[in-house]
Amino acid sequence: MDYLIHILILIGIYVMLSSSLNLVAGYTGMLSIAHAAFYGVGAYTVALMSLNLHTPFLVNLVCAIIICGIFGAVVGIPSLRIKDDYFIIAAFAFQIIAFSVMNNWVSFTKGPMGLPGIPQPNLFGWKISSYPDFLLLTVIMCVVCLLICWRITHSPYGRVLQAIREDETFALSLGKNVAGYKISVFVLGAMLTALPGALYTTYISYIDPSSFTVDESIFIISIMIIGGAGRLWGPVLGAVVLVMLPELLRFVGMPNSIAANMRQIFYGGALVVCMLWRPQGLVGKADVLRK
Amino acid sequence: MEQLFLNGILVGLLISLISLSVYPVICLVRFFHFAHAVVIAAGAYFSFLLSRCFGWPMGIAIPLAILLSAGLGCLMEVAVYKPLRKREAKPIVFILASLGLYTVLQNVISLVFGDDTKSIRTGPVREGLNFLGARITPIQIITIVTAIVVVVGLLLFMKYTRLGKAMRTVANDANLARVVGIDSDRVIMWAFAIGSGLAGLAGILMALDTDMTPTMGMRPFMMGIVAMIIGGKDSIIGIVLGALLLAFAQQYGAYYLGSEWQDAIAFAILLIFLLFRPQGFLGKKV
Repeated sequence: MDYLIHILILIGIYVMLSSSLNLVAGYTGMLSIAHAAFYGVGAYTVALMSLNLHTPFLVNLVCAIIICGIFGAVVGIPSLRIKDDYFIIAAFAFQIIAFSVMNNWVSFTKGPMGLPGIPQPNLFGWKISSYPDFLLLTVIMCVVCLLICWRITHSPYGRVLQAIREDETFALSLGKNVAGYKISVFVLGAMLTALPGALYTTYISYIDPSSFTVDESIFIISIMIIGGAGRLWGPVLGAVVLVMLPELLRFVGMPNSIAANMRQIFYGGALVVCMLWRPQGLVGKADVLRK
Repeated sequence: MEQLFLNGILVGLLISLISLSVYPVICLVRFFHFAHAVVIAAGAYFSFLLSRCFGWPMGIAIPLAILLSAGLGCLMEVAVYKPLRKREAKPIVFILASLGLYTVLQNVISLVFGDDTKSIRTGPVREGLNFLGARITPIQIITIVTAIVVVVGLLLFMKYTRLGKAMRTVANDANLARVVGIDSDRVIMWAFAIGSGLAGLAGILMALDTDMTPTMGMRPFMMGIVAMIIGGKDSIIGIVLGALLLAFAQQYGAYYLGSEWQDAIAFAILLIFLLFRPQGFLGKKV
């Protein structure tokens, strides 16, 4: 039972991560390979604050959201000057630098040794410690995250984002402040990653930089793409499929050493197959990635 | 200090070699072919397979490994990129497909050969030769010579041969190339073959110097991309200068800050260039 709840919590974390990426990449068309870095910034903020300052969970969460937003602005500003594949490389650069700082600034982040013993959250006297408690917290966070995404994408603001994805010059010609929209949605996407970051940190109660690598970013992208970019339910479906299916490998008795590689091959292969035959993903809109 | 300078030259030329191996591909297909990183590792592992598992001499194993790497590049083009091009997919689709290919192939290598370090070096590790107050190993000399030969060779190839001219034409305007009767699919195939062959060669040279792991290709590939962007991606000379600038910044940065910050330095330089001079220092303004 605990195992099942653990899988559900993981799915919840990836639903939030890929939904926030969906706002940036699926709706606005800026593919960012830096999402795991923002996730890491959020996770490390919560971990360092609760370990060093002993502040309550809610305060940490709010700070993590703000700090992720600041980093989002720092990375989002290049998107004004550069486009498409250059933007991807710039985001990639931020991802590498962020990982390098987490891994090498040993006096602050403890480097590859990681930060153990992160205290469990306490919300208004509700001590969250058991698996079901964490599941409830995950569900609450997911609902909040999806509500925010739903509200954004179904507002006039969201429609402008989609217009930018379809044709940036046209959106500009209608007098829309394209740069402002792009930066604000990028910051918003980064802020939302603080939720799964805070949840992951307090749930596992230990973090190290290896959870926030480029591979993790590619995994988040795969979830969004395979589920269906530009649709609210796409990332949800993608997270369920991509987190659950590899777990099945465990039940067919595949040894752990092979299973890790097989899982990666599965993600990568799914991404390639998806691009070749169904670029809109499982439930995506047909025109997001098509010309 | 002499050692630092020599290392700068050596790393700079190795990055140039990798950057130039991806140059024909990126010039023609216009997207960052991430799966190229795995071809570098594949070159090293092919040579390991042929020389260690089959016991063939290096003189046969290395050329064959280069050919196999070229074949791997062509296979990716035929199986994935060409169908995508026929469908006129967006650039983002190509990049996602190439990230997927990278993940699959890298894990296939881990699965077959294991994650531990493999070696194709023969004999004991010898002390380097003394060269103007710095130490250099024979394999490093071979790397430097090979890189220079490749740079000059590619310059001449792009400028004077029929295929090189065809590549430049397709890179400029694929539609116009078709008008004058150039088969752009065939030219792109050649670009993948040449680029992937060079990547395999670079991988083998790296493995001869510092052994191999399945993920060995990604870091040099990213350095190659950084060199290409800061040098200006349409000029071979620019790429070589970019690679040397990057290598010296890394070597001296590592000397003063510590070697673990090399990646951060490289990508900080990249961000500065992307923000203030996205066309690179020898590139033309778009």
